This record gives sequence, structure tokens and C-alpha cells, in this order.
Amino acid sequence: MKLKRPYRYILIVILLTGLAGLITGIYFYNLRDKDLLKEKPDFLISAEELQKEFESDENASNIKFVNKIIEVTGVISSLEKGENNSMNIALSTANSMSSVICTITAETDASGLVSGQTVTLRGECSGFLMDVLLNNCVLIRK
Amino acid sequence: MKRLIFIIIITGIFIQASGQKYITKNGYIGFFSHTPVEDIKGDNNQVASILDISNGEIVFQVLIKSFKFEKALMEEHFNENYMESEKYPKATFTGKILNPSAVSFSTPAIYEVEVEGDLSIHGVTKKVKEKGSIEIAKGSISANSRFSIVPEDYNIKIPNVVRNNIAKTIEITVNIKYSTSGNQ
Repeated sequence: MKLKRPYRYILIVILLTGLAGLITGIYFYNLRDKDLLKEKPDFLISAEELQKEFESDENASNIKFVNKIIEVTGVISSLEKGENNSMNIALSTANSMSSVICTITAETDASGLVSGQTVTLRGECSGFLMDVLLNNCVLIRK
Repeated sequence: MKRLIFIIIITGIFIQASGQKYITKNGYIGFFSHTPVEDIKGDNNQVASILDISNGEIVFQVLIKSFKFEKALMEEHFNENYMESEKYPKATFTGKILNPSAVSFSTPAIYEVEVEGDLSIHGVTKKVKEKGSIEIAKGSISANSRFSIVPEDYNIKIPNVVRNNIAKTIEITVNIKYSTSGNQ
């Protein structure tokens, strides 16, 4: 089948648009979580201050911090291994019953970290249960 | 002297409490949806839970936003379209082990239990009764369960476009380990 030249161009444009759409679709469908090592933090804060803000006003803190990238510094109070090779690092605060819990990514090397050590972690804030919870955390300084 | 008595009383309460109540903030709850189109898995390693072995009361709490997915887009849809996690940030279960006497908390073994209570997801609370197990080991107690829920029961609306991508019933896995040695 032979098309006249302008129609041929239109057909090519339509096909290319469709292909671009398909590729964009596949790209977004397969998108992984952001690598926080490459992201700029929205907040630099100590574990103590972060916990205090959530404890004093949870609703305001949810609006301020949830889904934001937070770089938090504190003293490790516990390291707990979880399901699927996950690891939660708890940072102590002024309240002994409440901490900042950071779940680190599978790629983050936590070997050598011990309780009592001061560390800086960068993670995405999920909110507050008994503790402030951060996810996708990466290790910035130890 | 008054202060000393106060300290003794407080210590006493703590010792008693620590002998009966076990707390963890590092529990796991995951869900799994299987369809021929795709498998969707969400993992939450930040589950807070309290188990009171004196009366079998058990509580779980999770933040919806703490569920992690393989793909960022799944997580976004889960939070924004289905679970509306800004409006309903938490899911909770408050209930009781119906046969606590079947569990000998001092003898290491796996005990089958039945748990009944209120499950709150997406602002909807339902009475549920599910089977699970309590595993007593040296230095730890674990609570495990696997059960299914139907999203529509919790008023979670799934648009027709993706109806074939999401299973009619979602399988929930609960693996909680309470430490009996440390303070957590």
C-alpha cells in the first residue's frame, strides 16, 4: 500500500507519538523509589527535636514533615532486624518510650553500627505512631 | 523517704508491667494481591504492637504510608487513590486471644490461637475473627497470622480500569516478634 506523502508523515507522527506514550508509560510503571543519597533533604533536624515536634502537635507535624525528606541526627538506641532483610535503627529522644525509627534500604550497609553511636540518616517521613517513622533511609554519616 | 517509697512503687509497677506486656515497634505486616495481570506486594516493617499475656489482649498499629512497594507508582496509587492515607493515616487492630489458656508462655513451642477483635482500615471498623499462632522461644515471643480481607468491606474503591490488576481478596501476613529480654 502506497500512501501520499503528507499522509505518510501523519502516520509516522502518530506512530511515534504512540511509541513515546508507551515508553513513558512503561517508564513510570517501572519507576523505583527515589535514591535518597541523590536527593536534597527538606529538613535537617535532630532526633530529639523531630520527636518533640510530633509529640507536641501531631497534626501540624504531619502536614510539615510527612512525605518530606528528613536528615536526622541522633544516638542509636537499638538496631532491630526485620522481615526481608530489613533493619530498623531507632534514635533516642528525650522521651524514653518514643524514638525516631528509621527503616534503612536493603542497599544500605549498617554493619559496624552499634547502640550508643551518633549517626545521621536521611529518610522519607511516614508519620507518627508511638515513634516518628522514617522510610527508605540511607546512611549519611557515622 | 517519701521519694524512696515513690521510686519503689514505680519500679514495682514497671517490673509487673514488663512481666506481662510485651511491646515491639519493629513488627511486620505485609499484603499480597495476585491476579493474572500482576502481583502486588506491600511490606511494612514499622508495625507497633502490644501483647498482654495476662489476659491475651493484643493490639497492632500501622501507618499506611509505611507500606513499601517494588514500584513507586504502586505506592502512590495505594496511598492516594485507594487507602487515602492523608485522610486515614493509620490502620489498627484491637482484640483478644480467645483461648489464652492454650498458650503456656513459659514453655517454648508453637501454639495455635484464635483472635477476635476490631480491625480498622480506611476509616471503617469491622469485627474479625482469625486464626494465628503464638510462638514461644528463648528470649522472644512471636505472633503470626495469615488471613484475607476484601477491600470493598472497608469501603476501598477500586476503579474499573484496574479492577483486573487487583485481587478480590487481599492476603495479609502478620509476623510480630516481641523481645522478652531487652526493654523493647
